[in-house]
Amino acid sequence: MKKILLVEDEKSLSLLYQEELSKEGYEVIIAYDADSAMEKVRSEEFDLIITDIRMPGKDGIELIASIMGLRKDIPIIINTAYQSYKDDFMTWAADAYITKSSSLDELKQTIKKLLKEN
Amino acid sequence: MIESYRLQPINFTPDTPKEFVLLSIIAQSFFQPFSLEDNLLVILTALTSGAGVGFNRAMLFLREGERLKATMWLGPRSPEEAQAIWTMLSSPGLGYAEVVEHNRELISRTQEKLKLQLKIFNYNLEDEKSILPALAAQRKEIILVKDAFSEPLLDRRFLDFLQVDSFLCLPLLAHNEIMGEIVVDNAITRAPISLKDIELASLCALLAGNYIYTTNLYKKVVEMEKMAALGEMAAFISHQLRNPIVAIGGFTQQLLTNPCNPERCHRNLGIIQEEIKHLEAIIYQLSHFLKIKIKELIPIEIGPILKKILERPDIKNKSEGKTISLRIMDNPPPILCDPVYFEEAIVNLLDNALDVTPAGGRVYVRAYSIRKNWLMILIKDSGPGLDDKAKEKLFSPFYTTKENGIGLGLLFVKRVMEMCSGKIEVQSKPGHGTIFKLYFKIPERRGI
Repeated sequence: MKKILLVEDEKSLSLLYQEELSKEGYEVIIAYDADSAMEKVRSEEFDLIITDIRMPGKDGIELIASIMGLRKDIPIIINTAYQSYKDDFMTWAADAYITKSSSLDELKQTIKKLLKEN
Repeated sequence: MIESYRLQPINFTPDTPKEFVLLSIIAQSFFQPFSLEDNLLVILTALTSGAGVGFNRAMLFLREGERLKATMWLGPRSPEEAQAIWTMLSSPGLGYAEVVEHNRELISRTQEKLKLQLKIFNYNLEDEKSILPALAAQRKEIILVKDAFSEPLLDRRFLDFLQVDSFLCLPLLAHNEIMGEIVVDNAITRAPISLKDIELASLCALLAGNYIYTTNLYKKVVEMEKMAALGEMAAFISHQLRNPIVAIGGFTQQLLTNPCNPERCHRNLGIIQEEIKHLEAIIYQLSHFLKIKIKELIPIEIGPILKKILERPDIKNKSEGKTISLRIMDNPPPILCDPVYFEEAIVNLLDNALDVTPAGGRVYVRAYSIRKNWLMILIKDSGPGLDDKAKEKLFSPFYTTKENGIGLGLLFVKRVMEMCSGKIEVQSKPGHGTIFKLYFKIPERRGI
């Protein structure tokens, strides 16, 4: 079973993503902020990371930089409510950029593609 | 030894050279908070008053897109009226404000009728077969018209209106762009237009052109600032609304696709309800922040307000198990602020301080006067403190560390402080808590 780390500070959204992605057959681990996400990346193996940008404390862009410093082989998806960062060079290190929507189809397809299940 | 002089001379004597009077009046207009119309009126006045260049009448055209439109006309209708106006305007000690006041009144008396008459003088600057008066603006040249009644390059309707055989057309330019045009004549005195008149008038035209240019530029900057703020606001609103909407949409989708067990149904509906409450809170806070507008600053006594705040149920509730220590200097001077916004600003800071202070911890509120003319209110928490990076982001809109915060609280406090000419400072180090200092100017006491 592929293991996904989801970094999302909104409680109900993380619950929604966890349930929906579990249904797709993934194991989903949640981190509510960047620091606890980093702890998990250090101690566990993940096949994919999904992160928001704006979070309390360190933001998603800083988190990506830290993850890249640690290991470069995990695909990263930015999943955010902000459209404005899409063309921001700072987000270059992510493999995909998704604007949050009440339909999770785009997110699910992107995960599949990045995990080469297509 | 030093000597001091006023920046702009205000009073003139009968000996003051007219060039000097003219330039002074126009220069003053740039320093006054009057409207573009008022200031252009002053320039027309400077051109037509006895103390100024000495033309009898002046008409102003302004450029709107590719068109040159007559917008203002200043001048007496009879020699008697002319004499009365010129005497009045030549009186010693006359300042800018009086000139504006006088002309406002003059214009307002004739404006309605005049507007209709001026409406027909509206020329296309792109027109290849341009005629006077627009020709001067189009060519960007000063044109002196003599024997107007036999001049073919002239709009007849314009001439019928002016009823004068000699007049001067002055293009108003800035950065080589056409801003407008002024047409002056001596219809009452019939005095010939001299080279010196033209030189002085061209100086006025130069100032008027640049004045219009600067005003337009300023309008554009204000507009751009508004748009930038609007863009930022739009990005923020869409972000803030998107999270709850995604949650509501997602959980609704689950309800629709899965024939769910009652427990799951109940849970999803509960989440949806919570998110809707969250949306409501966002809208409330947003409108609250946007509407902040202090009408009048009044002297307020901080002592009773601070004590009242500590008694508020929301603050009491939050401070359970924690201590708020309040100390106010004896007889604190009144400060100038809006009492409601003042209270809300303090509540905001106190609320933040209580949020980060652990159980059993203390929050300090102090009020002292600093130097002679400042009153400082200090709020210190016993929280974890902030690193430099967090401190930097503190006042940026929509930055929040709270789960349900929307990041406008401190911005609100800052705006309140700006509106009452105060300032806010933050001191913080990780491990040492955070101190907010609000500085209020103490109003000078008048009389005894």
